[in-house]
Amino acid sequence: MGTNLLEALNVRVVGSGEKILVLAHGFGTDQSAWQRILPFFTQNYSIILYDLVCAGSVNPDHFDFERYTSLHAYVDDLLNILDALRVDRCSYVGHSVSAMVGLLASIRRPELFSKLILIGASPRFLNDKDYHGGFERADIENVFVAMEANYEAWVNGFAPLAVGADVPAAVREFSRTLFNMRPDITLFVSRTVFNSDLRGILGLVKVPCCIIQTSKDVSVPASVAEYLKTHLGGGSTVELLRTEGHLPHLSAPALLAPVLRRALSR
Amino acid sequence: MPTLVSLARQFLTDEAARVLDDAVAVARRRSHAQTTSLHAVSALLALPSSILRDACARSRNSACSSRLQFGALELCVGVSLDRLPSSKTADEPPISNSLMAAIKRSQANQRRHSDNFQLQQIHCNQQAASVLKVELKHFILSIMDDPIVSRVFGEAGFRSCDIKLAVIHPPVTHASNFSRTRCPPVFLCNLTGSELGRPDSSFPSSGREDGEENCRRIAEALVKGKNLLLLGACASDALNRFIECVNTDGGGILPTEIAGLSLISVEKEIIEFLSEGGNNREKMDFKVEELRHKLEQCSGPGIVLSFGELKALVDEKLSSGALSYLVSKLTGLLEGFKDKLRLMGATAVYETYSKFLGEFPAIEKDWDLHILPITSSKSPIDCFGSKSSLMGSFVPFGGFFSTPSDLKYPLCNVAQSITQCHLCTAKYEQEVTAMLKGSTVSIADQYSENLPSWLQMAQLDTGKGLDVAKTKNDGTTLNARILGLQRKWSDFCQRIHRAQPFSKFDVSQGRAQALVLEGFQYVADRKESSSGSCSRDSLLNESQCANLSLGVHMDLQNDFPKRNSIPITVDSETENVNCQSKLIKEASKSQQKEKDSPWFTPLTLPNMSLPADHTSSSSVTSVTTDLGLGTIFASCSRRPNTPKLGDHREHYQHFLGFNSSKFGISESNSHQVIQPSSCSNPSSGEHFDSRDYKSIKKALNEKVGWQEDAICAISQAISRCKAGYGRHRGSTVRGDIWLTFVGHDKVGKKKIASMLAEIIFGSHENLISVDLSFQGGVNPSDSVFECQELNDYDVKFRGKTVVDYIAMELSKKPQSVLLLENVDKADFLAQNSLFQAVTTGKFPDSHGREISTNNMIFVTTSTIGMGNTNFQPLKEPVKLSEEDILGAKNWQMQILIEHAAEGASGSNGRNVKISRKVTSTTSVNKRKLEGTTNFTEQELNYKAKKLPHKVLGSSLDLNLPVEETEDNTNSGCCDSDSISENSETWLEDFFDQVDEKVLFKPFDFDALGEKIVMEISIQFQKAFGSEFLLEIDDEVMVQMIAASWLSARSRAVEDWIERVLGRGFTEARQKYHSNVKYVVKLVTCRGLFVEDQAAGICLPSRINL
Repeated sequence: MGTNLLEALNVRVVGSGEKILVLAHGFGTDQSAWQRILPFFTQNYSIILYDLVCAGSVNPDHFDFERYTSLHAYVDDLLNILDALRVDRCSYVGHSVSAMVGLLASIRRPELFSKLILIGASPRFLNDKDYHGGFERADIENVFVAMEANYEAWVNGFAPLAVGADVPAAVREFSRTLFNMRPDITLFVSRTVFNSDLRGILGLVKVPCCIIQTSKDVSVPASVAEYLKTHLGGGSTVELLRTEGHLPHLSAPALLAPVLRRALSR
Repeated sequence: MPTLVSLARQFLTDEAARVLDDAVAVARRRSHAQTTSLHAVSALLALPSSILRDACARSRNSACSSRLQFGALELCVGVSLDRLPSSKTADEPPISNSLMAAIKRSQANQRRHSDNFQLQQIHCNQQAASVLKVELKHFILSIMDDPIVSRVFGEAGFRSCDIKLAVIHPPVTHASNFSRTRCPPVFLCNLTGSELGRPDSSFPSSGREDGEENCRRIAEALVKGKNLLLLGACASDALNRFIECVNTDGGGILPTEIAGLSLISVEKEIIEFLSEGGNNREKMDFKVEELRHKLEQCSGPGIVLSFGELKALVDEKLSSGALSYLVSKLTGLLEGFKDKLRLMGATAVYETYSKFLGEFPAIEKDWDLHILPITSSKSPIDCFGSKSSLMGSFVPFGGFFSTPSDLKYPLCNVAQSITQCHLCTAKYEQEVTAMLKGSTVSIADQYSENLPSWLQMAQLDTGKGLDVAKTKNDGTTLNARILGLQRKWSDFCQRIHRAQPFSKFDVSQGRAQALVLEGFQYVADRKESSSGSCSRDSLLNESQCANLSLGVHMDLQNDFPKRNSIPITVDSETENVNCQSKLIKEASKSQQKEKDSPWFTPLTLPNMSLPADHTSSSSVTSVTTDLGLGTIFASCSRRPNTPKLGDHREHYQHFLGFNSSKFGISESNSHQVIQPSSCSNPSSGEHFDSRDYKSIKKALNEKVGWQEDAICAISQAISRCKAGYGRHRGSTVRGDIWLTFVGHDKVGKKKIASMLAEIIFGSHENLISVDLSFQGGVNPSDSVFECQELNDYDVKFRGKTVVDYIAMELSKKPQSVLLLENVDKADFLAQNSLFQAVTTGKFPDSHGREISTNNMIFVTTSTIGMGNTNFQPLKEPVKLSEEDILGAKNWQMQILIEHAAEGASGSNGRNVKISRKVTSTTSVNKRKLEGTTNFTEQELNYKAKKLPHKVLGSSLDLNLPVEETEDNTNSGCCDSDSISENSETWLEDFFDQVDEKVLFKPFDFDALGEKIVMEISIQFQKAFGSEFLLEIDDEVMVQMIAASWLSARSRAVEDWIERVLGRGFTEARQKYHSNVKYVVKLVTCRGLFVEDQAAGICLPSRINL
């Protein structure tokens, strides 16, 4: 049973360290996004890489529209993978949607995670009273309409925006992985993401977290990092990266990796 | 950018291309600017017997007649097309982005789903395998993914998912005995645990309602018999929704285990009770009694009691008495009916719960609330529904796409087609074919492995034309074998060819080629330098075409080290030999020669830089380059084949033309020809050693005279390494040399590295300079040092890791000096790569590709020395530290003249004075330093200087100096905080590995400063005579010292003083010939950068007045 899941989600274990590190990619990318971060860790960690079921590198037929209606299904996948690999404790680095998945997973199985590192994480993207998530419901609907109307145009516009920093290679890479996703899946997943609201449950997270925030992120305003820090239940720290964009692991790996290392060693 | 039709057609099979043409025709007819998916649909429908039409007919599920529905569909398509704006168009409206994206998707899809049969076909034909022609079927499927198309179909009452299914499954003649839509998707039943994969989950899969996901999770948790607290921003919504569902639905939503569960909400009562301040206890008691009664009566799964929003229970205004009364009642109930009663509540934030716990610590145990995170308000499906009814038709059901007979792919094909490289796949297929020939079953059912037999049947029914019974019998065993083969090859592939598991087909192939290329890099480079006539690129192409198998490549790699010591015995006629083993030998030989070649001409630079001469003119033979050849060339050095030079060259070119696999051989021959020519005077290693040593030392001393000891050590190390001694890397001889310069004198280190590049590799162009401390940081742009472009890497850094940058440069210039400044600041990645390079001779980049570092000279610098090396034998505290100088700014200079301040003139007959605004440790520094200067006087002078500055006002900022300099000194000492924990041990290990660690003395800036002041004094006296006083601003001083330190020529700064400053003084004198006593000041124009630079030195070409 387990092996099938491992195959379907392209689970890989690289590196030779004793400590286990899970690198979970975010929306619109796949595990290749970590490619330039990997070499920094392969010596000291065994790194588990996998693709979210919505990633373009996973056979779209696996994406069950009935199942992946909330983040919990993704959490199931993650925990199933860790169980299948017989991991009993690991550090977890999650980007965007995977950061949320990591939080939920750590609530369910706190003993499994020694540390969570959240890159570009947001408990809720939509604005609310007393909360600034960065997006208005109406904006989002417009985005969805744009996605429906012309997926390619949307990707071409969105990719540079998300990458933020002026790094053509990263934009190219992000567009590539975005294009790999089937448009209807992209739309569906983004709806799932935008509908989720983790604000209430942050207090349940007892695992120490490190929130990595870039100086400018189109998806996550800086206030969100602060919000996370104050509401997360375990001791958490915020690291500010002196770069821009939602995907620092693509656009500024050399900057991100030392921060990750530091955060992991604490 | 829309794509041209002709371009898009390339991706399609003829059949699909015809459809595209029709679509283009439709677009043209309607004079639309672009051809979109809708046009394609229109074209497809127009054909009387198209797949799409057929699929629509079969997937029709509405009550009305098919004719009617088709009519509706055509109408809808027509209307949608009408909506598109029309414009004047060209003959062929180009393909819109969305349609092009669909084509690309279908291509990817087809690749993913393609069975081995297709792959094989492609490979056998040796066509360009990368262009996979999209079949009509896949093309249609992708078009159906397009939201606009789905909407149109939805409007006409079709569900695009049904149509897709119909397209995938050709008409089945005899009825299959299972219903497609009712079967659970594979992911549920096959891939995950039992809990998730309940195929017959009691939740109806149709008629999904708002928030059902949450309800399902709540129900699941209730099955486990827990008291629940729903937590999350939308928790109360979810709770209400669940109560509603259970009560209205008659429990239809509940799983069978707890069917009949009744749900009672006491939320209203609780709020009422609490708002009255707990006065009405009787009413509450009554309610509790009622509950108790119900519980006693009830059988079956029991009762869930909802206490609603937890916030109501923690309101601060409440009297604690009422609350605790309520809590105790509930606790009592719970204890009384442990098996029957379950509590349920909701809260928006965790803080509420912890507050509640704070007030009633016993609750945690008594109520034993299990927290269920609720993370989403609505299911995504719901959103589609609410927004547009049309959208609902396509997205939610897209999941049905994965239906049973389609499920074979995920289980095998993903792994296979993606993880194997071209070659292995081909081999794998060969084996499979061979195996299949042995059995009676055709290839077609290879991919039905892992399927339950009934699914196999279905698969075969769908037109593969195979006997069902046969497949059932043979299929399973065969499939197992095929799967085994598949594994074997993919394992093999991964191990041998290092294919990335997720790299695409053509990518891994490209990688493999790259590896081959690397193997032949030596050859390539050698060729470049020896012939000089062919561009490197063309060569690369040649070796790309090389018919070498990967296996050979692997052998080569392995053989290099082993065969290094084999003396070369192959004579010049071997070019005709093309058997593999010879090739390997040759290749390894050429590598070895390559390694040595740079060393044999340290004394004859011209020959190195003009390699073409070697082959074209025999006069080169007289050159006395005898160095470093050692025994290797001894055997061939006497071969009198110099006259054949031209011949060989011909051969060589000839081979290049048509058989590049022989290239290695012919290359090494032509190379060999050169060797003897330069080996005419074989001599002993020692002899060579001393000459080499002297020459290097002499050249270095000319440029960097102040580092005599270091130069001595460097020259010794280099000559020793070149002679093949002093290596501590086992028996293999390596051509790379590693030096580490520790201590101060950044510029000196750089100069030496640059000189080494010039002496050994012929040009200072062959210096690759990377400052590892600059990563991510910003280089101050106004520094004096900037104008010399000290750091190549910084400029080209963007988007690259430093390791990749180095690797790129290394492969570009395989013979060069690599200067890595501040190696102690190297990031983790760079540390790894460097360490590997120093130990193995190969520098890996971040993708794992290795670049050989043979022939390279690595110079790493660090300001910190390791271990017990005492690298700072300071005689005395220096007045000017290196950090001060490195901070020099490249500012315009200015001469100011003002009236003498009291007592500032003519002190002790000195007429040049430096006004220093530095900290207390260093102060006034006068020419012919009076060693006895006491502190008070310094202070006085310091202040005295300040006053006139204030008068000037415009060009000086008095607020800055003190703090600024403090900062400088702080950053100056190596900040060990930034060095990560294992960095220091790494550095130690690394330094242990290098060939030589060379200690650099700090540069004596004070002496230089004095020299400069002396020169200036001479110039000043020439212009103004001896009675006037010159004050030189400290910044100017630093700037001049820095420039002098940097300058390549030895007397550059003296020349500058004479020409520029001297002229400035003269002009100033002419301007102010007042007899009043005045002071001349040389200051900087802060913020004004040098625009016009003097020749040969980073100083302004004229002085402002």
